[in-house]
Amino acid sequence: MKQFLSKIILSGILVVAATSCNEDFLQKEPLNLLTDEAFFQTPEQAIEATNAVYNMLRRWEVHVFSYVGMTDIVSDDSDKGSTPTDANFLLEIDNLTYSAGNLAMAAVWNGYYRGIYRANTAIERIPAIEMDEALKARLIGECQFLRAYYYFNMVRWFGDLPLITKPLLPSEFEQLRKPQAEVYAQIIADLEAAAAALPETYPAAEVGRATKGAANGLLARVYLTLGDSQKTEQYATAVINSGKYALYPNYAKLFTPEGENSAETVFEVQTTSDPQGLGGSQYNEVQGVRGTPNLGWGFNRPSDNLVAAFEGTDPRREATILYVGEVLPDGSAVVEDSPEIINERFNQKAWAPQPINGNNGWGGGNIRILRYADVLLMAAEAMNENGKPQDALTLVNQVRARARGANPFILPNITVTDKDLLRQRIWQERRVELAMEQHRWFDLKRQGRLAPVMQAAGKAFVAGKHELFPIPQEEIDLSNGLLTQNPLY
Amino acid sequence: MGYLNTFKSSSWRKAMLMALLALGLVGFADAQVKVRGKVTDKTGSEPLIGVNILEKNTGNGTITDLDGNYEVTVSGPEAVLVFSYTGYASIEETLGNRSVIDLALDESAQMLEQIVVVGYGTQRKQDLTGAVSTVKGDDLAKLPTASVQQALQGKMAGVQVVTASGRPGDGAVVRIRGVGTLNDARPLYVVDGLIVDDINFLNSNDIENINVLKDASATAIYGARGANGVVLVSTKRGKIGQASRISFSTYQGFQEVAKTIELTNATEYATLTNEIIQNEVGGAPTFPDPASLGEGTDWQKEIYQVAPIQNYNIAFSGATEKMSYSISGDYFDQEGILEGSRYRRLTVRANNEYNVKSALRIGHNIAFINTKETTVPDVTGNTYRADPTVVGFVDGVYGNTSIRSSVGNPLAQLFYENDNLRNGVRLLGNVYADLTVLKHFTFRSSFGINVYREDFESFSPTFVVSAQQQRLVNGLTISRAESTNWLWENTVTFQKEWGDNLNLTVLGGVTSQNDDSDFFGASVQGLQYENEALRFINFSELDSRNVFNGASSWSILSYLFRVNTTLFQKYLLTASFRADGSSRFGKNNRYGYFPSFSLGWRITEEAFMENQNLFSTLKLRAGWGQTGNDRIGNYESAAVIATGLWGVFGTGENLQTGALPLTLSNPDLQWESTTQSNIGLEMGFFKNKLTAEIDYYNRTTEDILWRVPIPLYIGLEAPPLINAAQVSNKGIDLALTWRDNKGAFGYRASLVGSSIDNEVLRLSNGEEQFFAGGLGLGGQLGTITRAGLPVGSFYGYEVIGIFQNEGDLANFAKEGSEKPGDLIFKDQNDDGIITDKDRIVLGNSIPDYTFGFSVGADWKGFDLSVDFTGQAGNEIINSKKMARFNTPNFERGYLDRWIGEGTSNTEPRVTNSGHNYQFSSRFVEDGSFLALRNLQLSYSLPQSVLQKIRLTSLRVFVAGTNLKMWTKYTGYTPEIVNESGFESGIDRAVYPISKVYTFGLNASF
Repeated sequence: MKQFLSKIILSGILVVAATSCNEDFLQKEPLNLLTDEAFFQTPEQAIEATNAVYNMLRRWEVHVFSYVGMTDIVSDDSDKGSTPTDANFLLEIDNLTYSAGNLAMAAVWNGYYRGIYRANTAIERIPAIEMDEALKARLIGECQFLRAYYYFNMVRWFGDLPLITKPLLPSEFEQLRKPQAEVYAQIIADLEAAAAALPETYPAAEVGRATKGAANGLLARVYLTLGDSQKTEQYATAVINSGKYALYPNYAKLFTPEGENSAETVFEVQTTSDPQGLGGSQYNEVQGVRGTPNLGWGFNRPSDNLVAAFEGTDPRREATILYVGEVLPDGSAVVEDSPEIINERFNQKAWAPQPINGNNGWGGGNIRILRYADVLLMAAEAMNENGKPQDALTLVNQVRARARGANPFILPNITVTDKDLLRQRIWQERRVELAMEQHRWFDLKRQGRLAPVMQAAGKAFVAGKHELFPIPQEEIDLSNGLLTQNPLY
Repeated sequence: MGYLNTFKSSSWRKAMLMALLALGLVGFADAQVKVRGKVTDKTGSEPLIGVNILEKNTGNGTITDLDGNYEVTVSGPEAVLVFSYTGYASIEETLGNRSVIDLALDESAQMLEQIVVVGYGTQRKQDLTGAVSTVKGDDLAKLPTASVQQALQGKMAGVQVVTASGRPGDGAVVRIRGVGTLNDARPLYVVDGLIVDDINFLNSNDIENINVLKDASATAIYGARGANGVVLVSTKRGKIGQASRISFSTYQGFQEVAKTIELTNATEYATLTNEIIQNEVGGAPTFPDPASLGEGTDWQKEIYQVAPIQNYNIAFSGATEKMSYSISGDYFDQEGILEGSRYRRLTVRANNEYNVKSALRIGHNIAFINTKETTVPDVTGNTYRADPTVVGFVDGVYGNTSIRSSVGNPLAQLFYENDNLRNGVRLLGNVYADLTVLKHFTFRSSFGINVYREDFESFSPTFVVSAQQQRLVNGLTISRAESTNWLWENTVTFQKEWGDNLNLTVLGGVTSQNDDSDFFGASVQGLQYENEALRFINFSELDSRNVFNGASSWSILSYLFRVNTTLFQKYLLTASFRADGSSRFGKNNRYGYFPSFSLGWRITEEAFMENQNLFSTLKLRAGWGQTGNDRIGNYESAAVIATGLWGVFGTGENLQTGALPLTLSNPDLQWESTTQSNIGLEMGFFKNKLTAEIDYYNRTTEDILWRVPIPLYIGLEAPPLINAAQVSNKGIDLALTWRDNKGAFGYRASLVGSSIDNEVLRLSNGEEQFFAGGLGLGGQLGTITRAGLPVGSFYGYEVIGIFQNEGDLANFAKEGSEKPGDLIFKDQNDDGIITDKDRIVLGNSIPDYTFGFSVGADWKGFDLSVDFTGQAGNEIINSKKMARFNTPNFERGYLDRWIGEGTSNTEPRVTNSGHNYQFSSRFVEDGSFLALRNLQLSYSLPQSVLQKIRLTSLRVFVAGTNLKMWTKYTGYTPEIVNESGFESGIDRAVYPISKVYTFGLNASF
């Protein structure tokens, strides 16, 4: 009997031991999850990583609500829009009463640095992949272009920045703000590398990726911002001389789906209104006609100041602004009056047709970042500075001619050759040609005119303060005070 | 696990032995006096079956029969009869000249004899060396609560139960001894030995008892999962010797919102809105004539309904010598105070045990649970915000609340978005075998499963309420999730007594647990037909279909060991050790080791205590142990690639896959470990009429796992999980019970209270402090975690008044563009300007004290009981008040606003954003409260009546839950529960709790 019992105990212990010996029991491969070790191995993954950097361009934090607020609404070109107290943080931006706790600064800071992280990761990891070297160089060039783009908006908003050019390890999380000059040096280096690596055009299926022209065009804008008219002219001319670009004949149509990726496009954020909302953006929605028929939110209302800025019967005013009673650009309906909105107007350039699935937040209207008219005007501005007023006039008048369309009685050619007067005319031309395309604030800033122009528009602009936005308080807290605040905030 | 070990406990074993002996001996006992009588429970109505009656110092005895009657022949009038019954104290009666001794055994005064489930075994309460609290199932079943946890509220010292929401089917949140781990602080739930995530699916009627292990010397046997305390649930089973019995119980009731938030009416709203236009925007007032709007819409009245709740339970139990059984069925049905929400639960349970051979017993506890849950959108936040000048639903049209309050009409949301059904089927249980060999060894193998399958279907119809609240294309989602969890436990227990000198129990075991889960689903935009019969993915365009699936798995392998000794019935020692290996941790840190030691001293057993009569019980115990917390995701140590980062390219606007790692791996991830010391004193006075239990604990949690927020410039989508901080929790748990009777009138009172002193000892990453807790619309961080402070302390500006005039603007430090009527923040560093450096600690979410207080009285079958719970010393951030995207409705406190010099020095001029919405003491409120949690009156019919109607017992009751709360807090409830302790106590709009009124009956025959 005792033996029998011992056997039972023994076998019990064996059972116990059997469970314990199985080390495999605790080894669990992550299911349904691709881990880092299995990534950055194939050419397809290199492309996917690059696509992920583009993905950020459509995001809320990068090119939607706060972006429009910190470019157009903050400027004299537009007011907040929507109902009087809707999105109070944008009202603060419109009124220049924001502080470091404002949501918009935190949003773009977050979104743009997420874009930079993605670019950094792709740029660091793609080189080790065994693949076609030409494709590899192109993909890295695309990521460099995007990283430069992200930094460029950021440095113009915030000034000195933490300059991060690779994915950080936890031991490197503490970063200080670097002088603007260093940030610009990085932007230029990235864009020059991109210009060297990128093709002038893509096959139809890849249209929308950054091109050599986009890199050169952005370089022109960077140098214009830095006040280097020689380099501006050099890079803008490179775009013009590439022969790949032309003005789109119909200015109003340029901002409709027909005008997407036209010959005038140098770079635009690609979106699509697909049935599942994977490729859309809310850029169109937040600026769309509030209420029926567009179901937009009605933010970014073109200001009286802008309305008055257009010369006489410049058709670009009508192409830029949607009024109550006006037929929508696709002819689908008439803008109805929303009694809750005062002085109702909308940004027609951000208008897009109703997404096919009815979900208005999945908008398919591309976001125009850089177009040929802008390049022509940058070149013109630089040429004027470089003592070539006639060359400048030729280019600026190309832009006016297109705006004129078939009506010979409007928008006569500019003929003034006095450097200061012509500069004023070119700046004015930029304002109306590029109105509501999120350039105005940055243009005024680089032109050094923010204080006088904003104050003249009745805004509480404080010189020495409002040229820069405050570093988000959230970020200062998260950095444990390592990041310093901009002056007077 | 516990059932066999019950037999280790010597009194029970002796009782059983004697009972069996007695049965055989009755026939030929040689004695002179016959005694008979009846033994009942305290109420006198319930016969106790199988009570052991023994003549002291002899082998002579018997047990009570099915009616509680006994007859025994004893030696003479000097004979002393000892009545003993499991869970009750022995009572000694000297016969004298009596021939009938009827006894009512009072269970509750006899806590010390109680058998306590301690994890992989049981112990007599008197032998415990750790801090363990117990609640009996009968006390739980009496309370008509939706979840078992709610019924625990205020019942146990150191066990804080928070009814965080009144959502149907929602359980309560349980915190044992404060917030120790800041990650996921739920305790571990063990149901009949089966380790489960939650116990929402249990029905209270099935529960025999709940034991909560609080200190580490008790929880260390659960090792890596014991750090948050352990809740051990034992379900009911038949008892050997018990008559077969059928019980039926039901209750019916209704619920209503317990408290509403004071909000402005239409006229007041319009007035304040006009002031905002004047203060912030300029231009014409929005409402030319506010007074004409009258009261407007009271959205809370529109939204919250009175909802029914009901429960039916039937149970069969009994036993023969060879087997015991308990089979029950339960149906619970609760509708929510939000129309359309409903939770139904059907539970069927069979707990049986079979004596196969004298040394072999097998058994099972099996439950099948089906839940059906209809959910509606949580519109509580929108109800709080909705514009009161807009109608709810009039003439078939929903009012447009989007214009000013920027939220959808909550009535329309409930009407259009309520088609969500979750159908869950769970099979839960274990099968076990106990084999006793060589007299002292018991081998137990238990295999348990927890299989859950959930089907989810959600349909969203098309509708248009307004431009901002509409759906132009319908949507359908159908998904199915399954999880299979098994737990195999093998233990060997050695138990031996050497007279009164030494009692030794040694336990060793190996357990393994594995969990596999997966889901599969499809969703579609634009279903061709809305007809319910055609709501299938098939009726949709191919390119609008989306299919998704996934899976996850984890496993844990553990070795456990424990020794319990009792020396001379006075000195107690327990030591335990557990090693846990978890698949969740990286290879290098896979195993964690968790030891514990504890000692006890039963002072009243000492010779020098013999001549005192103050203490009927006095026991001192002390323990130390380490436990862990493995509640992190299954694959946290790996960096995962995010897919779905779509790019759009090409003239055809084609989607291209985008993918990238958006988080970091952390190969150094370590176990979070908790070290806890505990000293406890148990006292009983006046024959244990008054009992007191006091525990002091000191718990230190190291390497707390958390995603500490990192600067945004790093660009990661989520911060990496790191071992963040070391936090200490210290405090005292106190439990006092008084129970007595004056003749037929019995009364009782109990008090449980706990103090919690929480302090961050240091941060692991070398940082001085970190911020967390997004407030308002999200941009502001309102909590700080820094050494020396309670974890997640509130951090903001201190309001010292309001700028009354231009003079004040010149005299006080400013942030920038303040105007008269704005808040004055204190310039803490006296530098003449308000900056982020002027923020200070404004409070914290951890109550200094929590308490429960119960009183009860009974008289001739009537029983009245009243329970209060409360807490003191915590603060709440009223974050929902800070979130003003547009002009949502106002809390009534706004009406005290500043409207000119001298009008207010506390409530600023009305604005929607800016300076006055910086996080400041304006938004910090006192979270202390006292709640009348339960009030119940019941009547049990007397035995005389019951016999006529052939019932064993019949009890009817009326009860009320959450009847009244005294608090200064303005929100729905001051019991705010957030995910993490680092950002807790933030009210971002919670689901209100409900008052519940019920009446019901319990009957058995």
